[in-house]
Amino acid sequence: METTALKSMTQLRQGQLLRLASYAAIIVILILLPPFLPSYVQSLMTKILIFAIFAMSLDLIMGYTGVISLGHAAYFGVGGYTVGILLIHYDISMLWISAPVGILMAVLFAAIFGLIALRVTGFYFIFVTMALGQLLFSIAFKWEWLSTVGVEAIVGIPRPAVGLPWFSWSPTSFYYFVLLAFVLCFFLLNRLVHSPFGYALQGIRDSEPRMRVLGYNTWLYKYIAFVIAGAFAGVGGVLFAYHNSIVVPTHLSITTSALVMFMVILGGTGTLYGPVIGAAVLIPVEFYAGLITPERWPLILGGAFVLSIMYVRAGIGVYLFRLWNKVVYRYGSIKG
Amino acid sequence: MEFLVLSTLNGLSYGLILFLLAAGISLIYGVMGILNLSHGALYMVGAYVGWSMAVQNGYNFWLAVLMGGLAAGLLGLVMERVFFRRLYKQLNEQVLLTFGFIYILTNLSIWIWGATYQASFTAPILTGSFHIAGLTYPIARISVIFIGLILAIGLWWLQDKTRVGAIVRAGMDDKEITMSLGINLGLVSTSVFFLGAFIAGFAGVIGAQLVGVSPTLSIDILLLSMVVLVIGGLGSVQGALLGGILIGCIDAFGKALFPELAMFFTYLAMIIVLAVRPRGLLGRR
Repeated sequence: METTALKSMTQLRQGQLLRLASYAAIIVILILLPPFLPSYVQSLMTKILIFAIFAMSLDLIMGYTGVISLGHAAYFGVGGYTVGILLIHYDISMLWISAPVGILMAVLFAAIFGLIALRVTGFYFIFVTMALGQLLFSIAFKWEWLSTVGVEAIVGIPRPAVGLPWFSWSPTSFYYFVLLAFVLCFFLLNRLVHSPFGYALQGIRDSEPRMRVLGYNTWLYKYIAFVIAGAFAGVGGVLFAYHNSIVVPTHLSITTSALVMFMVILGGTGTLYGPVIGAAVLIPVEFYAGLITPERWPLILGGAFVLSIMYVRAGIGVYLFRLWNKVVYRYGSIKG
Repeated sequence: MEFLVLSTLNGLSYGLILFLLAAGISLIYGVMGILNLSHGALYMVGAYVGWSMAVQNGYNFWLAVLMGGLAAGLLGLVMERVFFRRLYKQLNEQVLLTFGFIYILTNLSIWIWGATYQASFTAPILTGSFHIAGLTYPIARISVIFIGLILAIGLWWLQDKTRVGAIVRAGMDDKEITMSLGINLGLVSTSVFFLGAFIAGFAGVIGAQLVGVSPTLSIDILLLSMVVLVIGGLGSVQGALLGGILIGCIDAFGKALFPELAMFFTYLAMIIVLAVRPRGLLGRR
């Protein structure tokens, strides 16, 4: 008996070790490794983190609240466009001004569009969010005020000024800045979905009538979730404008909305790590597909869309998580 | 006066094209609960097949119309039998699946037919214009109005006056009870999907008389027909017809009066209807 207990003790310790090892691996990959990587990989990782923020924000309404929006890029794009407009029309590139204003504008648009779109539910909601996103897309396309002279985009957005004379951005420092923002967003969203508010959202996802019977104002809950999701999408949009140095109307459109939705589905809806994994898979694929066969990229994306919905519906992230649990179980759990 | 008549006719002809698309989406949604976002892509494929037949290869225009419809219909059939069947009642997955089809169909069309805009084309007997009371109007556009109206009446008759229509409506209201009455709803679903997709492709070639063919159609026309459905309401032919004509006219008058802002009027109309009647003007239930 004693030997069994001893054995299980060591196995438990092995499990903890394995878990610690995984955290260490994440820290190494995200924090220690990047300075030694080529700058295009750093830039790719920055983009992954930005889209991870964006995808998590969509998952808040899609996976946790059960409200599917096909116009979520609107708030991402509004964030980015605000940064661009502040720069070209008001000559403001100060981080402490342009980032908060960008996020605020995203919140404002989400608050207005939420009022319109949440008049309806289900399929009508998908219609309406998609139409509102396309409305912004066409405004950005047609209104010259929203673009640099001569192109249908705002180009040449620099990394934001931070007001410190000795500081200048490098790809590495910008990566760490985005990483910080990502960790902050992940932490906040994690707190949110594990708060009473977050559980109420999941209750609405599972059965809205039941929550209504329990006395919840479900509309208000959905509306607040929608606006919060808009705010985090705005964070992503602001960061992406700094990173990409150009905002184009497509950032507002259904193309971007669908791409980020695909990230969420691919990684696994209703989890926070899922969208992150979805972004980490799709962004590199997009990058290399863009190098090899840019004109066939939509075809690859569409095919992957269909295949993953038919066959890996739970999401790659969830599969990985299950696999990981299995590994931990085999090598680290208490077995006789 | 002349302006009024011409704009109304323009609005009617475009609106009826939108109606054909919206009616297909609405019918498929009603019977199967599938929101087919790739309906616009089916329209585009139909238009390209028609263009390829009539312009590239010089076949008869009406044959091209038929082939455009058939091509879209067959694609729809494959979608329904191979994919949607396996996602029964998983509504979110179905929507996303149809979105994947947009990417695939659009990109394949660009691959096959090129990304350039193809100008509008029509049948030899429809070229030329009417001259009535000092007004000149292209015959092709008049023919679109006629074909659209005939199809509208046909669809309304099918849905409201026939046994098939009764089954379809019963399926919309309560699937289980309908099936328990011994009706093969699976067969009905497949036929409805084929019919909806066929009409989309058919409308693609008919509509190419007005707007030509281009790969961006798959999203553009989808959006407009969605606005039509929000305004008219899902589930009834009349709703789609009313929405189609309204949006067609708003679009035509907007384009004539304020070319830069035309698009915003359609969205404005949608927002107003949402505020007043969220279920659409003639929505079911």
